[in-house]
Amino acid sequence: MDLTFNESESAFRDELRAWIKANHPGEEPAGEDEGYAFRRDWQRQLYEAGWAAVHWPTEFGGRDASLVEAAIFNEELARARAPFPANVLGLLLAGPTLMIWGDEEQKQRYLDPIMSGDEIWCQGFSEPEAGSDLASLKSKAVRDGDDWLITGQKVWTSGAQYSKWCMFVARTDFDAPKHKGLTYFILDMEQEGVEIRPLRQITGDPEFNEIFLENARVPNANVLGGEGNGWTVALTTLMNERAGLAFGLQVGMTVALDELTEQLAASGKLDDPMIADELGALRIKCEILRLTAYRGLTATMKYGQPGPEGSLTKWMWSQGNQELMQFATKALGPQALTGSSTWGRAMLRSRGNSIEGGTTEVLKNIIAERVLGLPRKK
Amino acid sequence: MNFDFTEDQHEIKRTARELLAKRSGIEQIREAAEGEAYDESLFTELRELGWTGIAIDEQYGGAGLGVVELMILSEELGYALAASPFLPNALGGLMIEHAGSDEQRAKWLPGIASGEATATVAFASDGTAEVVADADGAAVIVLIDGEEATLIAREDAEVEPLITIDPTRRYARVSASGGEPLPGDVAGALARAEVALSAEMVGIAQRTQEMGVEYAKERKQFDTPIGAFQAISHRCAQMLFDTEGARSATYFGGWAADADESQLAFAAAIAKAAASEAALSVTASSIQVHGGIGFTWEADVHWFFKRAQLDAAMLGGIGKQRARVTQLTAASLATAGGA
Ligand SMILES: Cc1cc2nc3c(=O)[nH]c(=O)nc-3n(C[C@H](O)[C@H](O)[C@H](O)COP(=O)(O)OP(=O)(O)OC[C@H]3O[C@@H](n4cnc5c(N)ncnc54)[C@H](O)[C@@H]3O)c2cc1C
Repeated sequence: MDLTFNESESAFRDELRAWIKANHPGEEPAGEDEGYAFRRDWQRQLYEAGWAAVHWPTEFGGRDASLVEAAIFNEELARARAPFPANVLGLLLAGPTLMIWGDEEQKQRYLDPIMSGDEIWCQGFSEPEAGSDLASLKSKAVRDGDDWLITGQKVWTSGAQYSKWCMFVARTDFDAPKHKGLTYFILDMEQEGVEIRPLRQITGDPEFNEIFLENARVPNANVLGGEGNGWTVALTTLMNERAGLAFGLQVGMTVALDELTEQLAASGKLDDPMIADELGALRIKCEILRLTAYRGLTATMKYGQPGPEGSLTKWMWSQGNQELMQFATKALGPQALTGSSTWGRAMLRSRGNSIEGGTTEVLKNIIAERVLGLPRKK
Repeated sequence: MNFDFTEDQHEIKRTARELLAKRSGIEQIREAAEGEAYDESLFTELRELGWTGIAIDEQYGGAGLGVVELMILSEELGYALAASPFLPNALGGLMIEHAGSDEQRAKWLPGIASGEATATVAFASDGTAEVVADADGAAVIVLIDGEEATLIAREDAEVEPLITIDPTRRYARVSASGGEPLPGDVAGALARAEVALSAEMVGIAQRTQEMGVEYAKERKQFDTPIGAFQAISHRCAQMLFDTEGARSATYFGGWAADADESQLAFAAAIAKAAASEAALSVTASSIQVHGGIGFTWEADVHWFFKRAQLDAAMLGGIGKQRARVTQLTAASLATAGGA
């Protein structure tokens, strides 16, 4: 067991830390679009310095960094309070999925603009009638010469308004069993058959959208992983979502907790033993998440692909973060709920944590069935 | 960064699991608990295998391995719920080795390492410790009172055996005055003891989680294995959540004890809090999964539940650890901010 960083990992961290210090873009501006443009510029900056996708192989423009170094990257970014790159779904979901399932041409075509942020990606999985039961989705793709024509509706699609490409799962065989009839497409969002309507979230921001498709056209060359193989390809995306995202987010939680601790200390509230007790409990959860994420990393390095255990850290994070935000607004008092504080908005946003990327109930099902081997509910 | 045991450490874990499955099965625990006496031959075997001295320096007759190896054994002994004075003796050994003088070490550690003259640790207030594990059979008691610790020879202490809800271990009330102070780093030594104790609770949580999951697969109601009901399967998932979290924290504590003392106080507090919570919640949850049978003397799960209650209270409860975590982080943030 060695929980320190070795020489090359430390060197990686030092180099990155120095670079961030010299290139920190400052505070993110208010406003959804302004913030987005800011994070896109930031990604461009990362890309040009070779930091945008450190864990990707060098042949695709990464640094071939280890998983530990990729974790360090997330930690350092969060610690410096630098923004995450704009194309987060491209980097964490689309990229790894393309590397596993894409043919040579697809990898050459799509990976570089994902890294540079020139082409933003979104994830078109959920539909009004297919959320947790994703495999029941109904968007329909039919063959038209060398193309496919897609008709249907997606919902909760984060960042669709900024996206060039969508990881789109549609049904291509209505006679096959529900998991077998799906195909994974790379859908061009900039075309007539695609209409995007913003959906306002609980925070008031339109971070996610509905997408309506009416004979949207996708060339057959944009099928990813083969016709009828969509469910398996989608699982690759979901595994990466749970394992990959939780790692970066864990650090975000630590930073928020540090900030809260400082604010409570400054106002003398830490002397209240009830507050100190709850804060201690949260810190313990936060550390456990960090440690469990690192244990998962070691396991992934030993055994390959992230496994169903990734569901555990996603669950730990969402629960911990929600408790943290709820506690923050309680401990800081009602002024935390006013427009002049960022805590109220963060608390509202945290309610989505146990829904996005697989609800907590679904994660518990996965753990029960795939990790503990309990029987499936009929 | 490698958050996993070495091959040798995995081997220790496997060997311990196999041995204890044979030597400390549920039948033996039941016998020890109902007979209110330890299986002496088990402790003799552990002594002969060198387990008692695993983390004690070679010059005192130990194996000279680390807290990590002790933690591995402690976890397995918890998993087996072995009825023996192993853990209290090991905790006493950690206190004397890491906070004692050379003279104190030379005097007590050989007996602790061989298991011939065992130790225990007592949390006292004004010279009295209400509940102390294995004090009656010990040769020496490490009495911790606030930030101070003193060594009391068994014959100089008043030891009154007690009945507790946990019949798998012998407990007593201890009063003493005087004694020889431990001159070294009492807090650091205590943190190591907390990690070793946490490991026992991780083992308890792991075992009762497995018992619950196994029962949920076998037991049928409404023509369905109860594990197919989400109220049960989600409870089982929660058991895994709690156990794995406690394991992460405890292993971190073991590593910090051996490799990075600057993180030890924090790591030990997290470990003790998380392992206590996991042991309490997982054992209780496992009883619930078992239904009526879980509430009987005949079922096995209650022994674990009872040990968990006493362990969680040993060396200070969850509230103390949480307060310590907040205090340590606030202090380190203030330093970082001021620098
Ligand atoms: C902030 C945010 C961003 C998102 N971004 C995207 C995105 O970019 N792309 C995308 O495709 N999707 C996205 N989603 C959608 C998200 O993946 C779905 O909301 C989620 O999978 C749940 O589906 P649903 O909303 O249809 O709820 P439902 O599946 O209808 O669930 C409703 C409730 O029933 C429970 N439930 C359902 N099935 C079971 C079961 N088998 N056992 C126990 N309980 C069950 C759920 O846990 C939940 O509590 C986003 C969601 C949020 C909140």
